[in-house]
Amino acid sequence: MPDPLVRAEHLSYAYPERAELGLCDVSLELVEGSFTVLAGASGSGKSTLLRALCGLVPHFHGGEVSGELYVGGMSVREHGPGELAAVCGTVFQEPETQVVMGGVRAELSLPVEHRGQSAAAVARSVEEVALALGVAHLLERRTDTLSGGELQRVAIAAALVHRPALLLLDEPTSQLDPVAGDELVWLLRRLNEEWGTAVVIAEHRIERCLPAADRVVALDAGAVACDAAPSEFLAWAAADGGTLATPVARLFSLAGLGPLPVSVKAARDRLRDAGLAPTCSAILVPAPERAAPRRFGRRPRTRPALELRGVWHEIQDGPQVLRGLDLRIEPGERVALMGRNGAGKSTLLRHVKGLVQPTRGRVDTAGRVALLLQNPGDYLIHECVGEETGARGLAAAGLSDRASASPRDLSGGQRQRLALEVAVGGGPYAAVCLDEPTRGMDRASRTALAARIADLAEAGAAVVMATHDTEFAAEFADRVVLMGQGTVIADATPSEVLAGGWHFSTDVARTLAGAGGALTAEAGARAITRELVS
Amino acid sequence: MTGGLVPVYRSRSSPLHAARAGATAGLCASLALVCGLYEHPLVLAAVVAAVVGAGLAAGVGREIARAARLAVPLALLVTVINPLVYAEGQTLLVRGGTLLGHRFDITLEALGAGALAGLRVGAFTMVFGLASACVDPDELLRLFRRVSYRSALTASLATRLVPVLARDAMRMGDAARCRAEPPGRLAVTRAAVSGALDRAVDVAAALEVRGYSAGGRPERDRRPWSRHDLRAGAGAVLVLVAAVAGRIAGAGTVTVYPALEVGLGPADLGLAACVLIAAALPFAGRAARLGVARA
Repeated sequence: MPDPLVRAEHLSYAYPERAELGLCDVSLELVEGSFTVLAGASGSGKSTLLRALCGLVPHFHGGEVSGELYVGGMSVREHGPGELAAVCGTVFQEPETQVVMGGVRAELSLPVEHRGQSAAAVARSVEEVALALGVAHLLERRTDTLSGGELQRVAIAAALVHRPALLLLDEPTSQLDPVAGDELVWLLRRLNEEWGTAVVIAEHRIERCLPAADRVVALDAGAVACDAAPSEFLAWAAADGGTLATPVARLFSLAGLGPLPVSVKAARDRLRDAGLAPTCSAILVPAPERAAPRRFGRRPRTRPALELRGVWHEIQDGPQVLRGLDLRIEPGERVALMGRNGAGKSTLLRHVKGLVQPTRGRVDTAGRVALLLQNPGDYLIHECVGEETGARGLAAAGLSDRASASPRDLSGGQRQRLALEVAVGGGPYAAVCLDEPTRGMDRASRTALAARIADLAEAGAAVVMATHDTEFAAEFADRVVLMGQGTVIADATPSEVLAGGWHFSTDVARTLAGAGGALTAEAGARAITRELVS
Repeated sequence: MTGGLVPVYRSRSSPLHAARAGATAGLCASLALVCGLYEHPLVLAAVVAAVVGAGLAAGVGREIARAARLAVPLALLVTVINPLVYAEGQTLLVRGGTLLGHRFDITLEALGAGALAGLRVGAFTMVFGLASACVDPDELLRLFRRVSYRSALTASLATRLVPVLARDAMRMGDAARCRAEPPGRLAVTRAAVSGALDRAVDVAAALEVRGYSAGGRPERDRRPWSRHDLRAGAGAVLVLVAAVAGRIAGAGTVTVYPALEVGLGPADLGLAACVLIAAALPFAGRAARLGVARA
């Protein structure tokens, strides 16, 4: 039997000046051509394990290691990232900081040139990887002109250009919109199936990767909590409280159906086999065309929290980002603003806050507006957490005990909560706007964020959230505004907009084909149970 | 960063872009050498004209205009500051007062010297603008990597990080405006700087996993010289030879103090002509305008 590609034996690791272990007694083997998903909450050790596999731990980060880790037959203790790079390619979360050179061709050439290959060999490698990953049309582009999705593809191409046997990816879709994220996962699946590249991917939204995976390793506090095939992992996750389970698995688990499906397709097949799908379809929600933009014939007498009337945002020598947009939001409303990249969501929020002025039209607000932009780290400018906001804000963020910590030491979810409190400090506000607040968040952080948003809405603020996260929108919003081409193309309840959608839909709604307007696992399970009872 | 003052390289179908980076950079470097060796206004004006002409012919007129927006204020600044600092010269224009024991008289010669120095700075900035717009930095750095691998890669990283950090700073500025109590510029700047360090660490990690620490010198570029390479290279050599020969022959002599004297002889005219011809050389002939290899 050939040696495994990766072999960890009782691997433990602690970052410098940290008491707790980043990895705790990890033992596992990965074979060539496997597709492994690393699951776990924020801070569970997924990134640390990936950094150990590529040699950054301990060679780049320092710290203390015990146990053994072999990658491609090389001991990570003895071989650094430069040598391990011959065996594994690594892609991190943030596309911008992974690209080193100014041009795409130079970026792809660099890893091969590092290995001292001839100019002809470099050119061939670049051409091959560019064609294989669908970035050939980008070869002559400058890297600073690429979108996030394109940059991430280029980063993957650069990681693969020397044909490593193992590809490591640390939440590669967290900074991408859902379309780009799905494309990336399909690409990884193709790489794995057609070229036999072993893939290890850490992800929060594992439902994207699970259908392609043949194994899931769940980590908890640095230790392996579950190491099993996807279906077995889902059974374990459901029994473990469901925080790591996919929405469809939770749906089946709550409805008492089994075994738990790893994909929407498998879920629909099982419902069909159980004779549930057709009758569920009988109680379909209103068709999407009913979810038309709201028109305001006679204006309500109450003063809205914010109102946009005929707002245009036209860039000089550029596109029209907003085209005569009308929108009225009442106090206490929770609105999810959805639409593809470039639809004008972020620009709309910037207009509401007053960061930009409309070319034409009016933006009226009933009072002050708070805005949380996409990158929470931009709000954290002090040396310690306690300086960022007052005691009340710290308590609301659940960080009272971390007042003396550096903001850089907080997890992604904690940073997001703190940034929100910084933005909404000194309230009350007529409107609170959030731009993609759930990017890269685990389920626990999203639940905490949803609770805080509910508090703000109950206090009378209109909460407007631009998001691609349909699952979160289904849980948090009481109204969904779908934007396209700089204007509102649908404006209705979440069920009306999301249950019948194709792209803008939740996994549960896709599984149930929009039955009962169910968007969440809980609502879907109730619909299925009703069908079972009747 | 596209709206910044420093032009950014974009691949275009022009002879200057099609020529290898070493040849185009050589032409720009020789023009910069002229700025360094001469302060004769005719020669410097020829350099500016050569840059503008080459830039327009290469389709980077907008980038050159951007460089000019940086060059003109710099030139004016030098022109204004010089007479305030130097009071030499025979022709007194303004009699100033005395401050801290220093007499502030403005002379025609000091003003002229300032204008010449300003023209020199401006011409140099324009040449830099042309190089930024027409020389592929990755290809150039690849050349330097053969000489000093790590220094070149560090320079490459620094170049790459500039637009990233500029975007970071812009975002942090917006976030500061969104805070309930907007912080001072110092706090935002400090956070941006420490954020830059984080970015640098991330990029360093990315470099490590690309095999940087095990890296060696890249192979020598063995591409045959194209006609664009030859013409740009010939232009560079022409300017270099003319500049050195002119210096030896005493061309471009300017005396500023005690009286402003700007000579104009055949050598000065010849040098200026060489600069213009060299800048036109890459675009000369029908063959240069057709079949440009790089789009």
